[in-house]
Amino acid sequence: MMAWATLRRHPARTTLAVLGIAVAAALLLDMVMLATGMSESFRSLLLTRGYQLRVSPKGTLPFDSEATIDGAGAIVRALRANPDIKAVSPTLGATLTIDGSRIPSAFTLGLERDVQGDYTLEAGSDITRADSGTTVPLPRIVASQTFLTRAGYVVGDTITISSGLNAQLRTAARSSRVVISGMGRFIYVPGETPVMALDLALLRQLLGPSYRDRMSLAMAESRRGDSASVEAVRSWIATTQPRVTAISTETAIRQVEERLSYFRQLAFVLGAISLGIGFLLVATLVTLSVNERRGEIAVLRAIGTQRLGVLHQVFLEGLLLTSAGIVGGLALGLVTAQWLNGILRDFPGLPSAFDFFVWSPNAGWRALALLLTSGTLAGLLPAWRAASIPIARALREKAIG
Amino acid sequence: MLAVAVRIACVLGAVGATPLAAQRDSTPRDSAPRGIAIDARMAEDLGLAVGARVRISAKPGEAGDSATIAAIYERKADPAEVARREYRVRLHLDHLQQLMELDDRVDRFAVGTRDGQSIDSALARINHVAFGFRAHKSRDVAVQSSRTFRVVERFHFAIGIITVVASAVFLLCLLLLSVEERKRDIAALRLMGISRATVVRAIVIEAAIVSLIGSVIGAGIGWIASVIVNAHFQELYRTPLVFALLTPQIFAFATGLSLVLGIGSGAAAGWRLVKSSPLSLMGR
Repeated sequence: MMAWATLRRHPARTTLAVLGIAVAAALLLDMVMLATGMSESFRSLLLTRGYQLRVSPKGTLPFDSEATIDGAGAIVRALRANPDIKAVSPTLGATLTIDGSRIPSAFTLGLERDVQGDYTLEAGSDITRADSGTTVPLPRIVASQTFLTRAGYVVGDTITISSGLNAQLRTAARSSRVVISGMGRFIYVPGETPVMALDLALLRQLLGPSYRDRMSLAMAESRRGDSASVEAVRSWIATTQPRVTAISTETAIRQVEERLSYFRQLAFVLGAISLGIGFLLVATLVTLSVNERRGEIAVLRAIGTQRLGVLHQVFLEGLLLTSAGIVGGLALGLVTAQWLNGILRDFPGLPSAFDFFVWSPNAGWRALALLLTSGTLAGLLPAWRAASIPIARALREKAIG
Repeated sequence: MLAVAVRIACVLGAVGATPLAAQRDSTPRDSAPRGIAIDARMAEDLGLAVGARVRISAKPGEAGDSATIAAIYERKADPAEVARREYRVRLHLDHLQQLMELDDRVDRFAVGTRDGQSIDSALARINHVAFGFRAHKSRDVAVQSSRTFRVVERFHFAIGIITVVASAVFLLCLLLLSVEERKRDIAALRLMGISRATVVRAIVIEAAIVSLIGSVIGAGIGWIASVIVNAHFQELYRTPLVFALLTPQIFAFATGLSLVLGIGSGAAAGWRLVKSSPLSLMGR
């Protein structure tokens, strides 16, 4: 095959071209992964425990402020009474102090054990339910790995947690002895934040009378998972509960995308540049290659090779170069995506399970197919020029040298 | 003014933050409303001006308190907050405490040491007696809060490395091809008696000139791109923050890198060519 022979005739040039296309393909793939990965990652994060709706204080995003919802009991009861809602998980967030610990305070989540969707238990046993009776001497809590490491505790330790500190009197308004019964992976809390979870009723009791009927957030799961049903439930909540904002997964994704739009737009710009580089590289290489082989092509045409045959061979040259570059770019892109993801995962305030670069087969293959098409098309013009070479003039030029 | 910043999300849900005539009537005439400051974005979005009366409350649904817009301020160009579209309101500390029913509480306070006093010893003394709070050096707090920028900076650096590699390969490819395309001319020069070193030097000088011109054109494109990027993102995020900046240092770095790559590529391509005999370059 002439295309293959041409590429083999100039190994240095071919290697460089393939390398260039591979880097362009890797960059394109990475940028597509960045553009689509954030939404995919955030969606899977939000749907980890099946809750499609978040109910937060009016005008706020979940845990975006310290605002809480008053009359939480009535709201939760109303939501649970709706036959279209399968489960409701109320959550209260607060900062509690830990007596005699290496860290003075930690973010604390008050949850209902049976419906909580905020953590998965990794070791030990789960939190105590407030209504579990008197068989357990001390309430049990679950802490994150970061909490245990930074506070210097292990599962099984007993600690004292307090709230309402008075710095002048050096007293706490309310405190409780609790046992760290388990270690959990907290889905929505940044990895670097020490966090503990305990029963919602216990946290409310620790925070005092003003928190008796408060929650920061409630998560709700629609009985039917399709987007129309979820939207119907969301709009029912919005109508019947004027003091809260109900956010569906789609809305939450849109809002996060808006906040991280810088990365999406950067991905778009760099993706377009890499596509352009791939196109230019193939176009330049094939054009110069055709110019170099004018005489050769003229001889082929003179001995009877059809114009379409020459066009096909030159076109194939661009296709081979681009294909080889894409194969290399796929591997290189996946490696660099891991590297870049490692850098961005240090972004403060994001859940540890959040990824910026996610391989999405549809988007990934589409991007590489686009580069293949662009690279192949880049060979079209030089291929046409090669097929249209005036045979007699090219042969004379070749003969004269 | 001793003031604290509150997230408007906490209070705006019920505030409505609009100058309401009906509420103006209901405000007792003997108690003058307190002054608050709002950010320019909020003033623009809600059509508020200095002197306007608003109602603010800590909880949705509550009557809250009447306040007068005493000032409108421009927010600092803070990259950490650029993507957050929340509004900001500044109140006198006691006003906010009263509104939030927080009695005598604050989130944090700043402490200044007297001249010549050791910050470390002051820190140690505060933390020795601290109960339920902890003192940190401002520098440590700044380092912690600048993590976002450091992550973005590392990300940009990584992307920069990839693009430099891509550009280097592209440049090498182009120079190799442009030199190879002229192998007949080079062969002619060699047959005329021009030395290999002179030929390579000519190719290197040409490559350097091409790199230099390319860098200047690239800098021009970069400058235009930075103007577009800044205009777009400043409009999108409504911030005076500069997102892309072409500094003389960046220009010098890009030009220097381009020259090094160009000269290296030119030398490699030229040397590869002059190693062959002039006749074989002629195709004989």
